[in-house]
Amino acid sequence: MVLEVRNITVKFGGVTAVKSFNMTVKKNTIHSLIGPNGAGKTTLFNVITRIVKETEGEISFNGKDLATYKPFEVIKAGISRTFQNLEIFKYMTVKDNFFVGHHGEIHYGILQEALWTNKVKNSEKKSMEKALEIAELLGLKNRLNTLAGMLPYGLQKLVEIGRALMSEPNFLMLDEPAAGLNPTETIQLKTLINRLRDDFNLTIFLVEHDMSLVMDISDRITVMNFGEKIAEGSADDIKNDPNVIEAYLGESKYA
Amino acid sequence: MVTFLQQIILGLREGSLFSLVALGLVLIYKTSGVVNFAYGNMGMFAAYIAYTVFAIAGLPLWLAVLTAIVFGFFLGAATERGLLRPIRHLSHSAMLILTLGLLMILEGLALEIWKQDYKPFPSLIHGRPIFIKFPQGRIILTRQDLLIFGIAAVIMLALFLYFKFTRVGLSVRATAQNETAARLMGIRVGTVFAFSWGVGTALSALAAIMAAPRTQINPNMMLDLQIQGLTAAVLGGFESLPGTVVGGLLLGIIEQFVARYLSEELKMAFALLIILILLLIKPEGLLGRRSAERV
Repeated sequence: MVLEVRNITVKFGGVTAVKSFNMTVKKNTIHSLIGPNGAGKTTLFNVITRIVKETEGEISFNGKDLATYKPFEVIKAGISRTFQNLEIFKYMTVKDNFFVGHHGEIHYGILQEALWTNKVKNSEKKSMEKALEIAELLGLKNRLNTLAGMLPYGLQKLVEIGRALMSEPNFLMLDEPAAGLNPTETIQLKTLINRLRDDFNLTIFLVEHDMSLVMDISDRITVMNFGEKIAEGSADDIKNDPNVIEAYLGESKYA
Repeated sequence: MVTFLQQIILGLREGSLFSLVALGLVLIYKTSGVVNFAYGNMGMFAAYIAYTVFAIAGLPLWLAVLTAIVFGFFLGAATERGLLRPIRHLSHSAMLILTLGLLMILEGLALEIWKQDYKPFPSLIHGRPIFIKFPQGRIILTRQDLLIFGIAAVIMLALFLYFKFTRVGLSVRATAQNETAARLMGIRVGTVFAFSWGVGTALSALAAIMAAPRTQINPNMMLDLQIQGLTAAVLGGFESLPGTVVGGLLLGIIEQFVARYLSEELKMAFALLIILILLLIKPEGLLGRRSAERV
């Protein structure tokens, strides 16, 4: 068990976004979290990455209590994420976006940088190698010096995934990675996510609305509605679950 | 009759101080998104510290200047940490109003501690002024004038290199562009804010000390410079460092021409009017980037 969410409740004023939620994510799996808009999926993501504080409950990650972590420390635990509305650094080059992702590996200050010590040199070299490796994987190699904001949307989403990979996480959270992608890009994304699990031994936890993608790649699916878990299981279990069909009625692509 | 060229040189002399003031303002704005209205007065307060160390305690000038700059750094960092961070989640206008309040508090405090009268403060360097001869007369540039010009250039270059090539600079840029993402990449956003406020305010202290021989130290010494620095920053696009320096120099020249050919009293008003027109034509500033949002 990599991630264990126990009894998490999140209230914003009078609204309960997440209600006594329990779930676990197993190591080296692709686990999808689905549900209608406003079900509380992103809120749960934000609780895990500590941007939002839970009202009640506990989250443990690899046996560590995440409540003691601050947002900037979450990445050190091995958790890295992307965002629903694309939060890349638009006015930076792709390379610089990647370098920010490698921030956790920087253990020197401005004075050492000014002196260009060996430590700085080696670290810069390591960042560059890592950036090249990831650019290669994502097909962004000849875009490294382009401003990220100038790229087509589909590539911007890849930049965000690349930035998340720079920290060498073992737990990757993707918030609607397929949103806004064209069918070809979605197929490429599918291949990429599978590779990340198989070749990079990552655990992938994603929120997604594209049901063909979810059904295709997920080892396990959790369905959320009005802040509560309404179903959990394999793709086949979920497809035939009456609760899920009811929650999705009206947008029943697969019902 | 003073010539065109002479006007330009005089304008550059004034403008380099505007640039110096503007650089710190831009640094703070670029990082934390706050236009610091108290900026000038924070520098003013630091100048009083320099005066106290130098004239009252009788310590060497360099030590006085260093003390004031270090004081400026901590004043800036503490202001960010203690006053702005607690209200950061409210709104930007809340932070703006807070800096306005701080502007008045510092002025009152300075009056209370050091009283009304103007305090003299020496130039940092002495030596024969430089005379530039023209058929119609001559221009005098003091060594301090040249020093201001040099410092503005060096600081612009240093800040540029810092932002462009260092990892600390990169994390500052990341924070400026997207706070949440930066935080989740492991950047201590709070430290970045406090550090930038510290460096920015240290620059204000330096600017105030450079201006002090001319203005003398008094609670209002930075009043005009605050506005001129802001104007220079806006003119330069408020993000671009080279733009800020060019903006400051250009403002100096514009003011000089207005003073010469229109009205000495109205030079600031007219200069601002000209800038308003410039901004109507080119809203992103001289060297600013056009913010193009792609969907």
